[in-house]
Amino acid sequence: MDEGDEDYVVYGTPIEREEETSARKRRAIADAGQLRALPPWKQEVRDEEGRRRFHGAFTGGFSAGYYNTAGSKEGWTPQTFTSSRKNRADVKQQSIYNFLDEDDIKDMGGRALETSMQFDTFGFTAAELARKEAEKEQEKRPSAIPGPVPDEIVRPAANSIGIKLLMKMGWRQGRSIKDTHADSLYESRREARKAFLAFSRDKDGPELAEIESSRSESEKYPERSDDIFGGTKSTPVYVLNPKQDLHGLGYDPFKHAPEFRDRKRSRESRDKDRGNNKTGKYAPGFGIGALEELDIEDEDIYASGFDFEQMEVEEVEPTKMIGDSWHKLVDRKRGSMLSFKVASNSDYVLERFRPPVIPADFESRHKFPTTLESTNKFPELPPPEVPPPEDNNLRLLIEGSAAMVARCGKSIEDLYKEKSKTNQLFLFLSGGEGHNYYERKLWEQKQKRGDLGRQNNTKSMKSSDEKMNAENRGKVLGERPLDRSSKASSLSVDVKEVIHLQSNLGDTFIKPVGLSESLKPFKYDPAKQERFEQFLREKYHGGLRAAQPFITNIMSETDRARERLDFEAAAEAIEKGTWSKEKETDPLSILKDLPFINDQRFVSSTEVEKHGVSKDEQKVIHPKREEFEWRPSPILCKRFDLIDPFMGKLPPVQRPRSRMDSLIFMTETIKSSKSEEAIASTRDSILLSHSESKETEKQLITQETDAEPIAADVQRPVDLYKAIFSDDSDDDDADEGNSGHSTDPVKTNEGANMTLNRLVAGDFLESLGKELGLEVPTDKPGPPDKPPNSILVEAASKGDINSSSVHEKLTSQHEEFDRPMEEKHKDNISKSADNVVTNLSINQNEESKPHSRHQRSRSRTPDSDSSDDYRDKKRKTHSRRRRSRSPSTDSSSDRHRSKRNRSKATHRKRGTTDTDSSSDHLYRDRSKSEGKSRKRSRHHKHRRKDGHKNR
Amino acid sequence: MAASGAEGLPGRREGGGGEAAVLRGHEGAVLAVRFNGDGNYCLSCGRDRTLRLWNPHRPAHIKTYSSHAREVRDVHVTTDNAKLVSCGGDRQLFYWDVSSGRVIRKFRGHDSEVNSVKFNEYNSVVVSAGYDRSVRAFDCRSQSAEPIQIVDSFQDSVMSVILTKTEIIAGSVDGTVRTFDIRMGREVVDNLGHPVNCISLSNDGNCILASCLDSTLRLLDRSTGELLQEYKGHTCKSFKMDCCLTNTDAHVVSGSEDGFIFFWDLVDASVVSSFRAHSSVVTSVSYHPKDACMLTSSVDGTVRVWKQ
Repeated sequence: MDEGDEDYVVYGTPIEREEETSARKRRAIADAGQLRALPPWKQEVRDEEGRRRFHGAFTGGFSAGYYNTAGSKEGWTPQTFTSSRKNRADVKQQSIYNFLDEDDIKDMGGRALETSMQFDTFGFTAAELARKEAEKEQEKRPSAIPGPVPDEIVRPAANSIGIKLLMKMGWRQGRSIKDTHADSLYESRREARKAFLAFSRDKDGPELAEIESSRSESEKYPERSDDIFGGTKSTPVYVLNPKQDLHGLGYDPFKHAPEFRDRKRSRESRDKDRGNNKTGKYAPGFGIGALEELDIEDEDIYASGFDFEQMEVEEVEPTKMIGDSWHKLVDRKRGSMLSFKVASNSDYVLERFRPPVIPADFESRHKFPTTLESTNKFPELPPPEVPPPEDNNLRLLIEGSAAMVARCGKSIEDLYKEKSKTNQLFLFLSGGEGHNYYERKLWEQKQKRGDLGRQNNTKSMKSSDEKMNAENRGKVLGERPLDRSSKASSLSVDVKEVIHLQSNLGDTFIKPVGLSESLKPFKYDPAKQERFEQFLREKYHGGLRAAQPFITNIMSETDRARERLDFEAAAEAIEKGTWSKEKETDPLSILKDLPFINDQRFVSSTEVEKHGVSKDEQKVIHPKREEFEWRPSPILCKRFDLIDPFMGKLPPVQRPRSRMDSLIFMTETIKSSKSEEAIASTRDSILLSHSESKETEKQLITQETDAEPIAADVQRPVDLYKAIFSDDSDDDDADEGNSGHSTDPVKTNEGANMTLNRLVAGDFLESLGKELGLEVPTDKPGPPDKPPNSILVEAASKGDINSSSVHEKLTSQHEEFDRPMEEKHKDNISKSADNVVTNLSINQNEESKPHSRHQRSRSRTPDSDSSDDYRDKKRKTHSRRRRSRSPSTDSSSDRHRSKRNRSKATHRKRGTTDTDSSSDHLYRDRSKSEGKSRKRSRHHKHRRKDGHKNR
Repeated sequence: MAASGAEGLPGRREGGGGEAAVLRGHEGAVLAVRFNGDGNYCLSCGRDRTLRLWNPHRPAHIKTYSSHAREVRDVHVTTDNAKLVSCGGDRQLFYWDVSSGRVIRKFRGHDSEVNSVKFNEYNSVVVSAGYDRSVRAFDCRSQSAEPIQIVDSFQDSVMSVILTKTEIIAGSVDGTVRTFDIRMGREVVDNLGHPVNCISLSNDGNCILASCLDSTLRLLDRSTGELLQEYKGHTCKSFKMDCCLTNTDAHVVSGSEDGFIFFWDLVDASVVSSFRAHSSVVTSVSYHPKDACMLTSSVDGTVRVWKQ
């Protein structure tokens, strides 16, 4: 067959025979020998089976690839470089398999990772292995079907035929085979129910009926599964001890502590029980990604479940049953293993008592029937009246000592008694003659003293009580103040008394402040009132501060501070005598006037009532409306097609840096505009009087320097290139016209400064410009009337030229010079129409006045033309101003002189109070860097020219 | 079940009408359903992280949009039906192309779940309200995914946002309905005193219907801020649920946590009709802009179409 292949016509795919493959091998080898004779580019690499393919690096070696080399036609290409900065090169995990052919891998098969038979629980790998074994055998021994048996034909049996048959007959896993009576009974019942439901289903409400039926079924379901299936199940399929922990096989963490095992098991089962109800409720059908953690967001908050859950119940039936039995098993186990079982319902109920009802007439303060002292010291009846002893001396002695004892207390009596042991005179103390009389006298004296000191006693008692009065106690215990409307009067009396007492006590040491009853702003809070008085005392008389004021420990530092403020305000009010007036109005008004009262932590009952009322009022007020300012972002307004209500206004919050800038610029703007105004008023006189020239010059230069940042402000922040180019073009024009080469350096330097300013000032400038454009009235003289001014000054200082003619000439000159630049600017204008418009409007505002004044000869007023043309002109003048602002441009012939003047002015300016240090600095800087910047300017010029060419 | 005076209302009736279709397909709770601008189509979104486009009248499921990584809570479609925006648990807004079903852009910025999202009139801005106590506006026309405006004056989660031509109105759990007038630069705060679950604008634009978590709907006059009416009877205590007015502004509609739908008379606040629509919480109701047709969605995974 090898030789005669060509002669036969073959239909179909021939079945490869073993011999044939070996024959092909042989041929391949032969070919290989042949190939060696061929030139390398005709050689084809084939594997041992004769297929044309590349070899793996490990078996084929160098015979693969291009011309039997390891390379390719293009040569060896290294891995392409990928910047790790932007897109990180993904790290390739290289393993040996990357370099292996399938054949190689097959050869290495023994070394591949596989489950060993030993640990093959489910027999899957075992089956696989067996199949492989069979395949190997197949290869070895000849069979009817040559080659390996295709997988489609031979399949491992999943279920035995017996199980299949049983299943077909209605048997299910876990059920016994015998046909029980209960089972059939259930089946028949179910059938009946179904039929009944179908019959009773309403046409109008099928949905409802369905819902109802499913519900009823599901309700009945659990009990049914319990009582019917409980009997019939035979072989519940479960693993008694499924391995659920992460310990190694055979490792028993509870080996030496078996008591923990039970606990753990019980906890697990409890978790399982609970998990069915609560934790496992995640939305069905979808898990979350591996990288996301399961958190509260994934919980199914709609815990009531789903329709389809109810429908699924039937299908889940067997597994559920298994689960039931499992639970039962666990329960039984628990019951047997644990000596104690948790009762399902304990008769121990945590008893809760209602708070005691306080009678309405309860008084929070105990009232003693008599004074404290009398109750304490004279509980017994007064001793009987005894006639005084005959001895007058003795009587006097007794009376005196009784008075003494009454005044000074028991101790003195004891002292006397000590003495009386030796002295006959004092026998009456210890029961001698006249003892009765002494007793009587002592009592009388004490009564007398008691009457006298009762007031004091009650006061002291109250003061001590004050430290823990009803309110304080209530505060401490967290009680709600009782409704005291009935006894409000008595309370107020008490409070008054207390206050009075306090002030009286204070008066004994310090000169009274003289607070009348009407001057008590914190009457309703005695404690506070007391503190207030303390405060007053300290304030006016510098009394000693209590080391630990008894209330303050309750108050926080901030409360104290706030209260102090309140006190100060109240004290001031009292001083002015306004308090009593306020007091005459109804107390609610005071409440309103003193919002801090609302903040106090504890309020007396009357206060609470008031507050309650106000709260009710607030509730009634709902919905309450408030209005605030809100700043929409400009882009939002734009997208909503609305005009920004805050357009042109300064943004409220900015980056700190830019705010700093804005502040600096702001002051300068204001300053300069003011000085400008002043100068404008004197300008005419300047024109005439030459003698003032120096003075005005100084002023102007000051103003000039002031104006510099503003000029920068007014500029729209363009990019650096543009700014430099436009400046340079100015320069160039000026150079051609004025033939002043030396002007460049200063100017370019200035240009650089300006661009720097622009860049730094950033957003703020724009907003400022907008603001100016919107809010500044048109007749306000703007900063940029510099150029004509300075020109005039120059002219004036020269003194030999008619200033007005010079001015005119110069302006016309500038006009001419500016022309090409104007064209250039048109581009810019058209490009950024929006911004330029606003910008120009600023320029217009700023320039309108000087413009009109100085160009009167050309009979053009800014107000007359508001067209684009005018805008362009504005732009032009604007740029002119910018250019001529740099002092050296004005007239090159007079450069030295002006420079001298300038420096003079700078010096002078330094002397003046109105020194603007920043502008000063600017000048110094400029003069310093003049030499340097010359070079740079040339460079700039070249660049500009290049730019021209490019354009 | 339907009481008298319910003529012209979609819902379950004794003779005919009622439920027109059930849109099944969501695997899990449907959190919102919305008619498109002309009411020919509707969009639903749910816990299965998908958006679904339906024709509720035929009824047919047209397309599924899946890219969300968490549940989708709200969806809105542009007036030209070209773009969608959706939001949900993944703290981003998804800006979709309707026909291709691809996400054009994702707007980041919210620090927490996003509860509600709306396009503005020109479909150029997306305004979203989130659990992070902020309302944020995103520019659809720029490449930037960052918000162009952040409003964070709320004290608590913002549940719902609606837009008019010039205003952004948002209701928050802090009990306020805040109106941000872009034209005036004013923020008007109406404090209702109860957490606001959902707000809805009347068709004439003069009133706001605010669903509060004390199971009360409150109708506010927008110009004065005064409370016009309160509607009670349903249950709304813990879930994010929608409310709306009918196309004629004659009735107020809201779902209930027990699966009922309630219709109130706008003026005298009497319950005109109530019927059981779902077996579980009714998360969303949407009323057809022109016809007497209504969509309801529920946690039971269905969207139901109700017609007269």
